[in-house]
Amino acid sequence: MARSDAPRPIAAVAGAPGGGFDEVDLVPVQTYWQLVRRRFFQNRMAVIALFLMAALILSAIIFPIIGGDSWFRTDLLKGPKDPVSLTAPLGYDNLGINIFFRLMKALRTSLIIGFFAVLIIAGIGTAFGSISGYAGGLLDNVLMRIVDIVLSLPGFFLVLMLVAFLGSGSVLVIIFAIGLTGWTTAARLVRAEFLRLREADFVQAAKALGASDRRIIIRHMVPSAIAPVVVAATLGIADSVVTEAALSYLGFGLRPPEASLGNMLTGAQDYFYRQPLWIYYPGIMLILLVLAASFLGDGLRDALDPRQRIEA
Amino acid sequence: MATYILRRLIQSIPIIIGISVISFAIVYLTPGSPVDKFRTPRVSPATIQNLIHLYGLDQPLPLQFWNWFTHFWSFPWDNTAWGYSFTDGLPVRDRIFQRIPSTLLLMGTSLLVTVVLAIPIGILQAVKQYSWADKVITTFETIGYAMPTFWLGLILKQLLAVQFKVLPLYGQNTLGKQGDIADMALHLVLPVTTLAIISVAGWSRYMRAAMLEVLRQDYVRTARAKGLGPGRVIGRHALRNAMIPIVTLLGLTVPGLLSGAAITETVFSWPGLGWLGVQSVTERDYPVVLAVVMIGGTMVIIGNLLADIAYAIVDPRIHY
Repeated sequence: MARSDAPRPIAAVAGAPGGGFDEVDLVPVQTYWQLVRRRFFQNRMAVIALFLMAALILSAIIFPIIGGDSWFRTDLLKGPKDPVSLTAPLGYDNLGINIFFRLMKALRTSLIIGFFAVLIIAGIGTAFGSISGYAGGLLDNVLMRIVDIVLSLPGFFLVLMLVAFLGSGSVLVIIFAIGLTGWTTAARLVRAEFLRLREADFVQAAKALGASDRRIIIRHMVPSAIAPVVVAATLGIADSVVTEAALSYLGFGLRPPEASLGNMLTGAQDYFYRQPLWIYYPGIMLILLVLAASFLGDGLRDALDPRQRIEA
Repeated sequence: MATYILRRLIQSIPIIIGISVISFAIVYLTPGSPVDKFRTPRVSPATIQNLIHLYGLDQPLPLQFWNWFTHFWSFPWDNTAWGYSFTDGLPVRDRIFQRIPSTLLLMGTSLLVTVVLAIPIGILQAVKQYSWADKVITTFETIGYAMPTFWLGLILKQLLAVQFKVLPLYGQNTLGKQGDIADMALHLVLPVTTLAIISVAGWSRYMRAAMLEVLRQDYVRTARAKGLGPGRVIGRHALRNAMIPIVTLLGLTVPGLLSGAAITETVFSWPGLGWLGVQSVTERDYPVVLAVVMIGGTMVIIGNLLADIAYAIVDPRIHY
């Protein structure tokens, strides 16, 4: 992604032209967020991903409303042989359920699970990482060993166990299980950021002014350390969505009549011979979601922190 | 080096205890008891009490943990160390050891395929950076990386086993053809392809990035300047250094060799450890679940250690 290197607005501060050294007029040309926005919109893939994600979210909101209960309403008079129409662009399944609306409902479930799981991941990760990075010493050591332990456990299998033993079929349990196992990367990122920020001038200034540890962490350091969390969270949406689909596919997640991209695949499996297309619809939805989330995450990383840009 | 390995081994003890505590806690603190399935009208409450006593479930939890934990590591000489399976009453250790060859075969083959394909692809991409071949391959990598494993497995199954009927749908052997190598190889094709496509997509990206990094170095330019041919520059000077991060990646893949690929194995009903794990979670076969998680966790720790050691061996700049 080296092509967007040409117009690089490095100078956030410009000296007044012609002025001598001692009368440099420090005019802030662009704020940090303006720079971030500009860098983000210069990245073509990131913008495409943003639009794709927006389109997916909008469809997940609008179509379930338009469709009403058609995502689970069976109709014995309709079936796979019925021609596709404007009201049923993907036709009907073996129970006469409108596949398109079911797909959109499943997409909505995926997005809800993805966003909330990532919220938990970001929450736990930030809390854990900030305490660890701020405290340092023994506490830091202990907390980081806990991260090592969670990282050593087989991730997907752990989610599977939690969901199966705490009650499968519940959206809440799935969100909880994914969130509880996936926060380690976020915690490490926040910790690294805190180790760096701890020595920063503004933190030292706050300390000198007598601010409490809590205030320094929450008001001063977390806002500065949030960029990597946002990136990790966006990328995490992709993982969470796929994990949910895999759980539901294996029969541990949501079960029919609830709609999930995973259980739609399980259902489509029985129609391998007669309706081969049915396995493509949920799969393509998943791929679109994953692509949108990962390119959005990459774009955000490049925009928020150009130093982290990797030439790959 | 020896002291480093020793130190790392000592450091991994608390981590092993940690993963044991967590897996034990998940299994034992979740609702439901292992004896629940015996609670039918035909079993008297006294029998249930006897069972609870027999399995030691009436002891305090820390004591139960300690008994389990200490017994667990006697597995090399004691085949009851991991307890008995709730589903068929066989020692868990035997059930698991029985599955290991299948998992090793599947994971080993796909790792081999991945390495053989991904490294040349990555090199090609790096050497011909921004060429059309690089762009096309990058596109495929991105899609391959975004594809969920189980879905890829499903479409491969649909296309090659159902539509064109060239490959078997699932399992390790056709019924009645146990031990037939050719038959097993045919059954291996689909799951290996599934795993390989996903990991080639990831690995070739790493290889490309590593190679690009190396190709920018001064010593590569020097090698070119002194008149070496492109084959020698890339093969002798660049590749050997670009392989360093790949060796680390290899170390991190080792745990998967034993713990298997739960999802792929389940999709193809491949009788490996991963599928056994998923099955035992379904059946709430707690001793098997615990053993599978413990093996997975321990393998990750060993894999990390191997990766670090390998890193030090291939990169002479690193001293411990």
